[in-house]
Amino acid sequence: MMRFKRYLWTLASVAALLAMGGGATASAASAPAPKFITIGTLYAGSGNYATSSLPELAGLKFWISQVNAKGGVYVKAYHKKIKIRLVDYNDQSDPNTATTQYAQLITQDKVNILVSDFGSVLTAAAVTVAKEHKMVLFDPTGTGSSFFTPPSPYIVLTSLPTSAVWPDSFAKYLIALGKKRVAIVYATNDFDGAQDATLVAALKAHHITPVYNNGVDTATSNYTVIIHNMAQTHPDAAVEFGYPNNDITFFQNLSASGVHFPFLFTIFPGQQLALLTQNVGAKALSDTFTYPTPPLLAYNKGITYGLSLNAFAKAIKPQIKSAPNFLDIAGYQAGLVIQKTLETSKSLSQLDLRAAAGRIRFFTLDGQYKLAKSGAQLGELLPVAQLQPTKSGGVAPVIVYPQSVATGKAVATH
Amino acid sequence: MLYALVAGILFGLYYALISLGLNLSFGVLRMVNLAHGDFVMIGGFTAVVLYSSWHVHPLVSLVLGAAAVFVVGIALYYLLVPRIATTKDPEMISLVLFFGLSQVIEALAVIHFGNNEQSIFDPVFGTQPVSLLGQSLPAVWLVSGLVSLVALALVYLYLYRSRLGYSTRAVMASREEAEVSGINLHRVSAIAFGIGLGLAAAAGALAPFMLGGITPDIGTGLTTTAFAVIVLGSLGNPMGTIAGGLIYGIALMLMQTYLPSWASLLPYVLLLLVLLVRPSGLFGRQVRSA
Repeated sequence: MMRFKRYLWTLASVAALLAMGGGATASAASAPAPKFITIGTLYAGSGNYATSSLPELAGLKFWISQVNAKGGVYVKAYHKKIKIRLVDYNDQSDPNTATTQYAQLITQDKVNILVSDFGSVLTAAAVTVAKEHKMVLFDPTGTGSSFFTPPSPYIVLTSLPTSAVWPDSFAKYLIALGKKRVAIVYATNDFDGAQDATLVAALKAHHITPVYNNGVDTATSNYTVIIHNMAQTHPDAAVEFGYPNNDITFFQNLSASGVHFPFLFTIFPGQQLALLTQNVGAKALSDTFTYPTPPLLAYNKGITYGLSLNAFAKAIKPQIKSAPNFLDIAGYQAGLVIQKTLETSKSLSQLDLRAAAGRIRFFTLDGQYKLAKSGAQLGELLPVAQLQPTKSGGVAPVIVYPQSVATGKAVATH
Repeated sequence: MLYALVAGILFGLYYALISLGLNLSFGVLRMVNLAHGDFVMIGGFTAVVLYSSWHVHPLVSLVLGAAAVFVVGIALYYLLVPRIATTKDPEMISLVLFFGLSQVIEALAVIHFGNNEQSIFDPVFGTQPVSLLGQSLPAVWLVSGLVSLVALALVYLYLYRSRLGYSTRAVMASREEAEVSGINLHRVSAIAFGIGLGLAAAAGALAPFMLGGITPDIGTGLTTTAFAVIVLGSLGNPMGTIAGGLIYGIALMLMQTYLPSWASLLPYVLLLLVLLVRPSGLFGRQVRSA
């Protein structure tokens, strides 16, 4: 009898709890929909990362303008379309300023969605703040591997794979080419450091120890002596991992030094070809190897969500007054991921948003989107391309590895 | 090792040119011009714009930019410095004011030129490296070294072989005594301030070749490094700046050779070492109190 009473008591308690939970759900569903979905983000209006951050913001703003022109984004939690409002602050490329402003977006502006600034250096500040406040961070381009060390329930990398994955194809290509004397210089930040670690590990697995492997500060403004020191090791392949400012300085110093590397790889000609060409000239870039990203990888067919590359380029041109680069696309892609997340999330709670972002499977102008449990991006491919001279005096990327996606063959370097 | 030493000497001469104007301004004004690096940036953009628009050779831009900024510097002196001098704490006020000026210049540069790096990639100084002491170096480094030496020599001649220079040195030694002896304090200081900024702009014309792409925000970092160089040589002693620049350049290139990851810390490490070991700098007899 006593046991039966206890059983009834437990049953009643469970029923009461369920009722309370149901009531809570019902009250959330019946709560009035917000007038806006507020997205908070930072951008670098000046400093080292402005070159990359501003186009990324332009891409996000373009997505917002597109969505709002159609009456807003469909929010499943309220079964209606709601317009997007953007709150953005200028962090001036300073991680310390960014830390304060990310916290301000969450605590003062009470944004619904948090989007980080460009790159790993400025995203690192957001990762910590987002974790502290249990806020999902939509991360367009911060690919530092450390952000995705489990448990990482509050981050969604919307665009590129984590930086440690980037050199996979490139390392295989170097090995396939039979390169034995590889010289590497990398900027000492999460993004470039992770790539160096991956490349070195892959080479060492094939008993290739780099003949030169040194890190330099991301703000390095002259590589002349470093280039000389690399050349002294007589490499058959030279690799420079850096941000756009590093690549520009490296190419300038290389041209002036008279040093010639038989094989040269850098990152950003594949993402910001126009900027690099404007600063170092097509001749300096000719025959360089790089990771091609959209728009150099042109996705126009098989798009299941958002605009194709051609449609995007045409639509965004009035806003940015030029052809889009990868960062414009990355900003737009972040918007698409947010849009799909809101369309499928059962509530605006941060964990529901994160779960919805994890379920997304689509193919956009940025390629395949597929999220790992860690929040890292798995879908996109980073092959190896060579910038080859064109008849008009410029350079154009030819994908040379892996064979499955190759569009041509590498040519001998000048 | 020899390559790093030769490169360090040339790079050090360039940094001496960047820093010399800051020390000259400090010597006569006893104020640190935190906007100094922004005038290097202005000189850099002047060279880039003149070359991209009219193919003006950067060495011509160097002269034009330095002359224009010299005039601007004199005007800026009369606009700002006499007012600061009448305040209770001119040193502190000047720090805030020049910091503000730096921010304004940077913001204006962003508005006019955008945030993207800008540079000159045509081989205006030749396509082949040159050989110096058996080391193959970019031709522009040699040009930069020569330009720096010429500029440093002109400053030396100005300070030690001209009447205005004697007055300038008198002001640097003691503003009060110079004023009592009938020297026109503001005239001498304005000219020295203008020369200081002109030297910064001259260095800026070579920056697209020596420092990579020019962006509006490079000024702050350059001011910091220039400050380290002049503290190394000794504050208020323009000629000590040459030694400071050479030590900085050689140390930087040696660091890039043997400890590249730590090279960017060099200005701060040197600054701390000098302040701890020899606060008056290596040529510290003429150290100023500020």
